[in-house]
Amino acid sequence: MTVKIWNFFPREALYECYQCARCTGSCPALEVASALGPRETILKCLNLGHDEIVEDEKLWVCCTCNVCEDRCPQKIPISDLLVALRNSAARRGNIPDKLEIAIELLAKTGRSMIVHQLDEMRAHHGLAPLLPVPVDEVREILKKTRLDEVVEF
Amino acid sequence: MKYAIYLGCAIPIKYPGFEAATRNVCERLGIDLVDLPFACCPPPTSLKMVHYDSWLALAALNLCMAEEAGLNLMTLCSGCVNTLKEANQTLKKSDSKRRKVNRILEEQNHHFKGTIEVTHILDVLYQDSVIEKLIKEKVREIPLKVGCHYGCHYFRPPKIMYPEELSEAESYVPVKMDHLLSIIGMEPTEYSRKFLCCGSPLGANSDQDAGYAIVKEKLRHIRERNIEALSVICPSCFEQFDMGQIALSRKFKDLVKVPTFYLTQLIGLSLGMSTKEVGLDVHRVKSKKLLEGIGIS
Repeated sequence: MTVKIWNFFPREALYECYQCARCTGSCPALEVASALGPRETILKCLNLGHDEIVEDEKLWVCCTCNVCEDRCPQKIPISDLLVALRNSAARRGNIPDKLEIAIELLAKTGRSMIVHQLDEMRAHHGLAPLLPVPVDEVREILKKTRLDEVVEF
Repeated sequence: MKYAIYLGCAIPIKYPGFEAATRNVCERLGIDLVDLPFACCPPPTSLKMVHYDSWLALAALNLCMAEEAGLNLMTLCSGCVNTLKEANQTLKKSDSKRRKVNRILEEQNHHFKGTIEVTHILDVLYQDSVIEKLIKEKVREIPLKVGCHYGCHYFRPPKIMYPEELSEAESYVPVKMDHLLSIIGMEPTEYSRKFLCCGSPLGANSDQDAGYAIVKEKLRHIRERNIEALSVICPSCFEQFDMGQIALSRKFKDLVKVPTFYLTQLIGLSLGMSTKEVGLDVHRVKSKKLLEGIGIS
């Protein structure tokens, strides 16, 4: 299902960008991997709309560190743009495998980490067993917000 | 002083030593902690990127649990504090988002009211009354050159994480950890790239090697300043430095490793706790030699 991202991000804010590339110059992901970088992401959104960009796997090569937004002289809410674009990408099936597995685990257990031989490990540090997560409530909330349309669980 | 302690996932499951150190330190400094059956925060690096509405609703469930107990919520992780602070702020400000989330939560007998604040252990420890107690209670100094690493989500984006006590005219990078560690006799040392990402989300979501390449570059700058120890307030940053240095040393044989500590482990040592009591025995990059050199075993 195609969702227009402009409900989640003020499109006008893109026009504030004058392509100074301070964002991209600060981007730690771009330095070590083949990423789009914020400047190019904004330019493509302006020129091509967001339909093309959400198909690109490189959209996910990001530290989510928000240093781009921090350093933007035009105060463009870049972090919100990146969330909106990736939400839309995931809905179209463009989502990294690792991330899909992580979300599935979260939806099934209410935690982001596998609990394995935990009590023993906690006892080693003199800690009581962990309180159980209300898994049914978590699943119900995630179903009601329709996460299962994006990641099956 | 009383808080609902929000452990998150990585700390109680992967690094329970941080939890033990934190509980011991809080007890000594007069901070009462209450445990509640919290779920995953969920992370600003995963669920928020995939499904914003689910992210907001699940964060609201955690906030409701603290509200129902009538307690402010104290997190131990830069990611958790980012999610819970943003969700709390968003739901307090936006009537439409709050209505939407409450329609879902009400079926589970919860209702977000907006009655609590979200904070991080670093901010809790930095309060005047706690610092006064720390100065009184500390039994030893830790004379090491330390590099602080805050974790991006602890202070970015500024529109969410900017501290209320500062005016917007002030430029902001966090300093609280550096100040706290100087109180226990450490020598906080600046290094290039201090405020840039540790590489964790990049490794977790897409490319592990690229994530470690970021660590390698950071380490170069850290060693250039002769920093002997790293201090973090986030389990993801910790993992990057601790496991990351082990992984990197397999590839780069001459890599000089820098032991990494969670903030409350260092505070705990200064309060006279043993290395085991603060959970240092399970760290991959060993700190035994370094600490023995200053008389701590």
